[in-house]
Amino acid sequence: MAKEGLFKIGGLENVQINIGKIVSEEDEWEPMGPVPCPEVEDMRHWYMKLLDRYPPFYAPYCDMCCLCTFGKCDLTGNKKGACGLDMRGQQARFVLIACCMGASAHCGHGRHMLHSLIDMFGADVPVDLGTQINVEAPIMRTVIGVKPKVLGDFAKAFDYVEEQIAQMMDATHTGQEGSYLDYEAKAYHVGMLDSLAKEASDMIQMIAFKYPMGADVPLVDIGVGCVDTDKPIILVIGHNVIPSVAIIDYLDEHDMRDLVEVAGICCTAIDNTRYDFKAKVVGAIGRQLRFVRSGVADVIVVDEQCIRADIVEQAQRVQAPLIATNNKALYGLPERSGDPAEEIIEDLASGKMAAVAILDPEKVAEVVPKLAMIMKNKRKNIRTLPSDAEQKEYAARCYDCGNCVLACPQGLPIDRAMQELAAGNPEPMSILFDKCVGCGRCEQVCKWEIPIVDVMQKTALKQVKSEKFKMRVGRGPVLDTEIRNVGAPLVLGTIPGVIAVVGCGNYPDGTEDVYKIAREFALRKYIVVATGCGAMDMALYRNEEGETIYEEFPGGFEAGGVVNIGSCVSNAHIHGAAIKVASIFARRNLRGNMDEIADYILNRVGAAGVAWGAMSQKAASIGTGVEVWGVPVVVGPHGAKYRHAHIGRKDDLTKWDVYNMRDGSKVRCEPAPEHLILGAETVEEAIPLLARLCMRPVDNPSGRQIKLTHYMDLSMKYLGAYHDDWPIFVRSETDLPLARKEEYLKVLEKDYGWKIDWDSKKILEGPLRKQDPQFDPTNLERLLKGAE
Amino acid sequence: MGEEFPFDINPMYEGERIRKKGMYVELGGPDQPGFELVRAASMDEVEDGRFTMIGPDILDLKEGSQNTYAMMFRMAGELVETDLESVVERRMHDFQNYIQGYMHLNQRYDIWVRVSKDAVKKGLKSFEQIAKATIRLYKAELPFIEKMEATFITDPDEVKKQLDGAMEIFAQRDARTRDLHDEDVDLFYGCTLCQSFAPTNVCVVTPDRVSLCGAINWFDGRAAANVDPEGPNFAIEKGECIDEIGGEYTGVNEKTVELSGGEYDRIQLHSFFDAPHTSCGCFEVIGFYMPEVDGIGWVDRDYTEPSPNGLAFSTMAGNTGGGKQSIGFLGIGVEYFRSPKFIQKDGGWNRVVWMPSRLKERVKDGIPADISDKISTENDTKTIDELKEFLKAKDHPVVKNWIEEVEEAEEEAAAVSTAGGMGMPMQMQQFAPGQIMMPAMGGGSGGGIKIILKNAKITISEVKFEEAEGSKKKGK
Repeated sequence: MAKEGLFKIGGLENVQINIGKIVSEEDEWEPMGPVPCPEVEDMRHWYMKLLDRYPPFYAPYCDMCCLCTFGKCDLTGNKKGACGLDMRGQQARFVLIACCMGASAHCGHGRHMLHSLIDMFGADVPVDLGTQINVEAPIMRTVIGVKPKVLGDFAKAFDYVEEQIAQMMDATHTGQEGSYLDYEAKAYHVGMLDSLAKEASDMIQMIAFKYPMGADVPLVDIGVGCVDTDKPIILVIGHNVIPSVAIIDYLDEHDMRDLVEVAGICCTAIDNTRYDFKAKVVGAIGRQLRFVRSGVADVIVVDEQCIRADIVEQAQRVQAPLIATNNKALYGLPERSGDPAEEIIEDLASGKMAAVAILDPEKVAEVVPKLAMIMKNKRKNIRTLPSDAEQKEYAARCYDCGNCVLACPQGLPIDRAMQELAAGNPEPMSILFDKCVGCGRCEQVCKWEIPIVDVMQKTALKQVKSEKFKMRVGRGPVLDTEIRNVGAPLVLGTIPGVIAVVGCGNYPDGTEDVYKIAREFALRKYIVVATGCGAMDMALYRNEEGETIYEEFPGGFEAGGVVNIGSCVSNAHIHGAAIKVASIFARRNLRGNMDEIADYILNRVGAAGVAWGAMSQKAASIGTGVEVWGVPVVVGPHGAKYRHAHIGRKDDLTKWDVYNMRDGSKVRCEPAPEHLILGAETVEEAIPLLARLCMRPVDNPSGRQIKLTHYMDLSMKYLGAYHDDWPIFVRSETDLPLARKEEYLKVLEKDYGWKIDWDSKKILEGPLRKQDPQFDPTNLERLLKGAE
Repeated sequence: MGEEFPFDINPMYEGERIRKKGMYVELGGPDQPGFELVRAASMDEVEDGRFTMIGPDILDLKEGSQNTYAMMFRMAGELVETDLESVVERRMHDFQNYIQGYMHLNQRYDIWVRVSKDAVKKGLKSFEQIAKATIRLYKAELPFIEKMEATFITDPDEVKKQLDGAMEIFAQRDARTRDLHDEDVDLFYGCTLCQSFAPTNVCVVTPDRVSLCGAINWFDGRAAANVDPEGPNFAIEKGECIDEIGGEYTGVNEKTVELSGGEYDRIQLHSFFDAPHTSCGCFEVIGFYMPEVDGIGWVDRDYTEPSPNGLAFSTMAGNTGGGKQSIGFLGIGVEYFRSPKFIQKDGGWNRVVWMPSRLKERVKDGIPADISDKISTENDTKTIDELKEFLKAKDHPVVKNWIEEVEEAEEEAAAVSTAGGMGMPMQMQQFAPGQIMMPAMGGGSGGGIKIILKNAKITISEVKFEEAEGSKKKGK
């Protein structure tokens, strides 16, 4: 009898073998590099290299530590705390804690979705991104060395990230790490984990829900005015799209889709439109409190992240029932997944309960649409904003104490606007609407209990209602073919760089800032990519022709493209694009090779990110995760509250030595990119800075010439002067901006003492180094010829 | 420069659209003749900066009108030569577009220019300002131009008269480009522009071979090397010819060793299989060998469907490039299809069996008439089997090779265990993405390919069990 186990077939006769498909074995796709699934110590050499060149600069937002019972400890004046940790260590420790929080949010979100998606579709959904994407998950390939083939494969990414976050969070416990540099290195590690978690999170929803990709995704409605108030309105807030998708599916299945509005705030809004082009985007985080207060929503559904902690109270205020759908945000509510939908609807519609938690998305879908239909009718006569008389009375109460201004994160002149309003002029108050971040702190400190948020909204009601804009649907990864198309223009400089507009809505001067930044660079043929709040907020303005930024510029990864990549988790595709450059043009092996790839990006790919309204801990991990891959980040003025910056010291030229891979020699380079993360006070400061940060040591003359042209042009345009060290970027006369070449040569001769041969118009002496077309830069010793 | 001219000059204005309602005047374009011409002259013939206007100047043209237009530049300098005229002339489009309020489209005798009302309002009043700015940019970017002068014409009769002469020059230039071949020159040009991303790639640009990205031809390389001989474009002494058909030269090989750090020592410029040119990352088209038909297919970046071999551009491109010689795949620039030496080592067009219809249409003037109909597109065939039928039906030249190989294969049939039962006209080679395909040379190389069976149905009528020798000893 045959038994299980090995046996040998001695011969075969009349055997027909039909093979449906032949696939290459997993292990053969690329040789494994030195750092697959790295522990922090495996990548520490890279983190420390970055920290050596871009040393942390601390801005202690809080100079005490109150994490253990020895404390509080005052760390000022070089004092150490009871545990022995000093100020720098404590600041860096907090950076690490913030990054762990942010990465946990992305990873937790992804893991949660993966469970749901496997429940819904099974683990075998293939990773099929079409014929134009070959490198399907660049971060995952690079960091953990896995090429995912099916949905279930992404568990490997989350397994790795979860373990690593626990290890890193462990290091923040009292009595662990003692070096600020090692805390910073660990924060870099977590930033890298964050990028991986985001990629996995976005990819699983893309492949399960079949989100659209590419440049030709449609435009969808964004703005309060787009929401059809004649229909029942379901408002979804947060980042985890599973419950919203269930609601949309339910509406479709019950032929109710056109009867009900599904409007969203934050990334759930973006991801909804990737699933259903009819879904409406109210706006980004800044609109949350104000839209809820406007009372337009009949039912509010929250999932996770960036939701107001007092959302239940706010919903109650406008008599809109609230459903919490995620175990990370339960608000003390009873979990009712097990109860019949009719019962839950009855309890909420009757007002017996103001809010419930329902963790089962199917149940959410059963409850919410019906509830919205009922509530629409019930809430018909609800008035939420002040009446004219009330408005007058509120304004008259103000006695100009100025508490609101002090409480306002942006220091908006609410007091003066209120005085003007009292005097009958609503305009100053209405102007503040776009500059307000919608936090509501002003109301908390108002001694006269003026509902300032509502008062302000009422003055701007007309403009708010007319907010009807277009946003291109988030399109996920940049296609490999797009990368190939832009290869030549990127090296020739006709595309001077890539600007990534990411992050939250804590803008110092309103949403228009991100529009300004994005449009300035798109007009100059940079590629502008955007995600999350930034992608939404930049849609709220129009050019002279009446076009929104998404209508004015193409949606492809191309010169002058304005590319909505998607939600916060889609951010990872921006790193992914840079990684693909290394894979596609240089055929660098990605697998287990993160340090080499990040080194490639740092020295070659002229990209810079701007998180102008960075607010959350997610933004901290996102920013850190961008840095660690070799892309510099500019944050807005509030970014200083993240406690550190990584500022390159161009006064110490030894920090800018880079190896030439060809012969192992050291080349002293210009500071490019000069910083890895730092804040700018104003948009006028940020724009030229971003252009400056797009320069790379490897730029060829035509590339550098155009980069320098824009940098100098933008300096003059926004700051009225050139930065006094601009010549540091000039390697030869061919780098000089064309239109002003002679003028600049004269300046270099006169003000900087450079020697010019005026007959040939060549620079004889002055530059830090000569451009060498054979220069093959790296910061990694192991890549030098002959190194093993 | 802004101080001197009433308009800003900046690359950001490239692509600036001037719509009809914002237009002050239109010059050339679809309705009026217009051309631009740059000519080389000797140093004493050119007066640097001189401007001549024939016909009404900007402010004398009727607002909203469409006008004839000619821009004729003459340049001089020690390194200036007739062969550089077209390169210099093509830059006109870039430079004039840098001018705010001045839109320039197309080239040669197709130019279409619009001047905006805003520009006029801001002080643009004469073509002299445009000419001076253009000359300034030329001299800054291409310092081998030591002197330059300009004649602008709006007078319809004069434009027509000059256009005839210009057309003759364009025709001569085209003939020169067409007739200039690798054997006519001593210098080729290397291009390392893309080394900022693809650090190991070197393009060898010759009269018969444009760069892979399509951006640099031999004339461009020559001009750039003249400007900055140590820059990313440099001359390569071609040296002795080793293989005329393949396009192998001692000078190129020496450079190959040097620039690839010793990784490669030979390049055949017009070969697909034997020491082919390296591929970078931004090649416009990829060629792929299909052993089943012994032919070569080509697919460009814009074609997103899978090719008959089942692989799309991005998949194949993912296995090529990075400055490596990838036997079986070859990245090229579109213009290379028009080269008379197009993969001539491996049969040239007679080896081409498939390309996307849009690409075929685009290069149809380069395809020999007798082969054109025999090259399949996605409209005829989408799979290897369909392609095979197509080629047979059309009697494509590669079909002859099949027969020979089948004969060879039959001779060796006993030794070849995989090919026989497949019903293929020639020996079949399995390959997976990422594997390098060698041309089928008869004789079965097992190749060390590992096959993993999944969901395979194997029907076996009888199984006999025999205890294998030694298993008892090893078994536990």
